[in-house]
Amino acid sequence: MKRLNLVLSLLVALSMALASCGAPSTEAPAAEAPAAEAPAAEAPAAEAPAESGKTVLNVWSFTNEIRTMAIAFEGKHPDVDVVYTMIPMTNGEYQTKLKASLGTKDIPDVVALEAAFVKEWVEADFLADLNEFLPLAEELKTYPAVVQVGTYEGVTKAYSYQATPGAFFYRRSIAKECLGTDDPEEVQAMVSDIDKFVETADKIQKCNKDYFMVGTSAELFNPFLANRKQPWIVDGELVIDPKVVEYIHFAKMMREKGYESQAQQWSEGWFAGMNDTLTGADGTPKKVFCYFLPTWGLPYVLIPNSKSDTTDTGGDWAMINGPLAYQWGGTWVGAMKDSPNLELAKEFVKFVALDEENLTNWATGVYTNEYLKAIDPETPDDQAQAPGDFVSSQVVVEKITPQFDGSDLYKWLGGQNNYEAFNKAAPKVNGALLTGSDDAIQRALESQRDQYLNGEIDEATMWAQWLDLVRNEFPDLVIPEPPVK
Amino acid sequence: MSAFRLKKEHYGYLFIAPFFIAFLIFGLYPLYNTFALSFTDMTMMNSSSAKFIGLKNFTRLFADDVFMKAVRNTWLLWTLNFIPQIGVAVLLSVWFTNIRLKIKGVGIWRALFFLPNLLMPAVVASLFYALFSFYGPVNQFMVRAGFLPQAIHYLQDAAIARGLVIFIQWWTWFGQTVIIVMAGMTAIPVTLYEAAMVDGATASQMFNRITLPLLKPILIYIFVTSLVGGMQMFDIPFLLTDGRGSPSSSIMTNNILMYMKFASAKGHIGAASSVGVAVFIMTCVCALAIFYFMRERDK
Repeated sequence: MKRLNLVLSLLVALSMALASCGAPSTEAPAAEAPAAEAPAAEAPAAEAPAESGKTVLNVWSFTNEIRTMAIAFEGKHPDVDVVYTMIPMTNGEYQTKLKASLGTKDIPDVVALEAAFVKEWVEADFLADLNEFLPLAEELKTYPAVVQVGTYEGVTKAYSYQATPGAFFYRRSIAKECLGTDDPEEVQAMVSDIDKFVETADKIQKCNKDYFMVGTSAELFNPFLANRKQPWIVDGELVIDPKVVEYIHFAKMMREKGYESQAQQWSEGWFAGMNDTLTGADGTPKKVFCYFLPTWGLPYVLIPNSKSDTTDTGGDWAMINGPLAYQWGGTWVGAMKDSPNLELAKEFVKFVALDEENLTNWATGVYTNEYLKAIDPETPDDQAQAPGDFVSSQVVVEKITPQFDGSDLYKWLGGQNNYEAFNKAAPKVNGALLTGSDDAIQRALESQRDQYLNGEIDEATMWAQWLDLVRNEFPDLVIPEPPVK
Repeated sequence: MSAFRLKKEHYGYLFIAPFFIAFLIFGLYPLYNTFALSFTDMTMMNSSSAKFIGLKNFTRLFADDVFMKAVRNTWLLWTLNFIPQIGVAVLLSVWFTNIRLKIKGVGIWRALFFLPNLLMPAVVASLFYALFSFYGPVNQFMVRAGFLPQAIHYLQDAAIARGLVIFIQWWTWFGQTVIIVMAGMTAIPVTLYEAAMVDGATASQMFNRITLPLLKPILIYIFVTSLVGGMQMFDIPFLLTDGRGSPSSSIMTNNILMYMKFASAKGHIGAASSVGVAVFIMTCVCALAIFYFMRERDK
C-alpha cells in the first residue's frame, strides 16, 4: 500500500511538472503548433461577428419553429445576425443545458420555454422584466391565459406567439348513428358538463358495445386540472384540490363501466382508434368516439393518424369545446436578464409574440421556403411554416379566421372552421394554475392512478404512495393528509 | 534549463502517465465532486449560491421508504437476472467446450447469443412496450388462443413488469457472459481433463474438481462487474414504462431515483449526488465482501 501511494504521488508530481514547465528544447515547436491551429478551429464560431459587424443575437430553442421567425426577424433587421441553437427536449437535454449555462458567458440572449417548464423560469430570477409590452399585449388582445402563464408576482417575463386551448374532437358518423345528430352545437349541448358527458358515454355504449366514448380517461386529466380552484402549490404546501379527487373517481368509473378503450395515451392502440383500426384482443373491431386534444393536436396528432393503409377517417370529424375548458402545451419566449444585448433580445421577443404582421404571416402560411430563402439563402428546405397554427392574439385570430373557410383543415373537419372554434375556447382558459412543479407532481400521480384503475392497489394506498413520491421529489414541500385513508 | 530532468529508466512513467491523468480528471475528480455535492443543497437553478447542509440530504433519503424501495428493487432485479445468467452461461460453456460432445458451429451459436447485446436498450424497451401493450400482439395471441378470457394490462402488474426487466437484462447479457466463461474454460489446460479421464473421473467430478476451481477468478470477475453494472441498472427499466419505475415504483432502480431527483423541476444536484454516494458505498462494501469471502483459503 505504501509503495502504491508513493508511486501515485510521484505520478501526480510528474504530471504536474510536465504540464507546468514541459521538457526543455525539443517540445517548443510542438507547443507552438496548437496555438497556430487554434484560430482555424474556431473559425465557424467566429464567423458570425466577423460578418461586417452585425450584432449577434443568440436564440435557444427545442424545436425548429422559432428559427422561421428568426429568419423573418433578420429580414426586418439587416444589421442583426440571429444565431439559432436547437437542443431537443426529449429527455430534458434542453432544460439541463439551459440551466447549466446560467452564470456563464454562454447564456443565450433569448430562450424558448415549453409549457412544462416555462413556469419554473418565470418564477426564478433569470428572465428580464417584460412588463413594458403589456399595453401592446392588451392592444393585440393576447389571450389572458397566455400572459398569465408568463407572469409571476406581477412581473411578466415571457410571451407566446401561440395559444393552445384544448378541444373535443368527435366522429361525426358515430354521433349520427348513436346520438341522432352530428351538428357541433347539438353535440356540444350533450357533453356540456361532466354529468352530461357520462350520460352520452352511456348512450354510445348502449348504441354499440364495441364503441368507446374515449380512448382513455387519462385524456381528461388536463381538462379536470384546468378547472381546479387552486394550483398544486400554495405557500410551500401541496394542495389537493377537490377536482383532483373528483377526477380520480371519474377515471375509476370510466374504467369500471367500460366507457374507455383502455389504450394508453400515445400508445399504438390509442392512435389506432383515430383511423378505425383498433382491434380488441379477441379480434373484434372497436371504435373510439372522441379525443381530447389542443390546437397543435389537430395538425400534429389527429390528422397524421387518421389514415392507415386501408382506412381514412378524414372528413368524419368535428370539433367542439367539450365539457371542460383547458389548455395543453405551448411555447413561450423570454429574454435573459444578463444578456449583453438585452434591448435587442426584448425586440426579438416582441417580434415573435406581439407583432401583428409576424403573427399573421405565421398563421397564414406566408413564411414559405422562397420567402425565407430570399432573406437567408442557407435556409433549410423544410423550414416553411404551413398555415394553421393558432396564434395568441385575438385581434389577429379574428382578422384571419375567414381565410380558413374552405381550407384543407376545413374539409378535414367536415366543413368546420377550426380557427373559429378555437377562438371560442381560448378566452375561457385559466392560466393561473400552472406552477413550476406541475410536471413531476402530475406524473407521480399518473403512475399511481393507473395502478388504482387496474385494481392493483386500493384508493388509500394510491394517495399515500403518491404523496410519498412527491415528498421525495420536493423535500421542502409541506405535504397534507391524503384525501382518503 | 530545467532542474527536473527525466532519467532514462523513468521513461516508463511517462508512458503510463496519460491513463493516470485521464483517470484523475475523469474518474477521481467526479467521484470527489459527487461526495462534495452530496453535502450541499445545490440545484441547477442556484449553483452559485448553494449552501453546505451537512448530512441533511442523507437523512431525507432515509426519511421515507422511497430510497430503500429503489435499493430493494435494484437488488431484486439484479439477483434474479444474474443467477440464471451465470447458470445458463456456465452450462452452455461446458457444452461448448466439452471435448466429448464436440458441438459444431460453436462460434455461430456464441455470436447468436451475443447478438441481443448489440441492440440499443431504447429499441429493446420500445419493442417490449409495444408487444405487451393493451392492444399489443401478446394480448391478441393470449386471448385468441384461449389462455386469457380478456386482455390485461401487463405493464400495470408489478410482477410482470419486473419479470420483463429481468428477462430483458438476462437476454441481452447472457451471451456476453458465455463468451467470458468460455474464454476462461478454454484457458484450462486440456491435459488436466485428459489425466482425469485416464483416472476414470466422471463428467461432474471433472467439473467440480477441475473446471470450477480454475474458473473461480473469472467467476469472481463476472460476479463483481455484473454487480457494479446491476446496481447502476437504468436504461431498460427507465424506458420500459414512464421513466419513473411504474407500475407503483416496482422497477424504480437506484439510478432512476437519482435521475428523478436530478431532473426534477429545479434539478436537485445535491440530493441526486446523495443517492449516488449511497449506492457507491453499498456497491463498494458488497464488492469487497465478495473478494473477502471468495479469496484463496490455502493457509
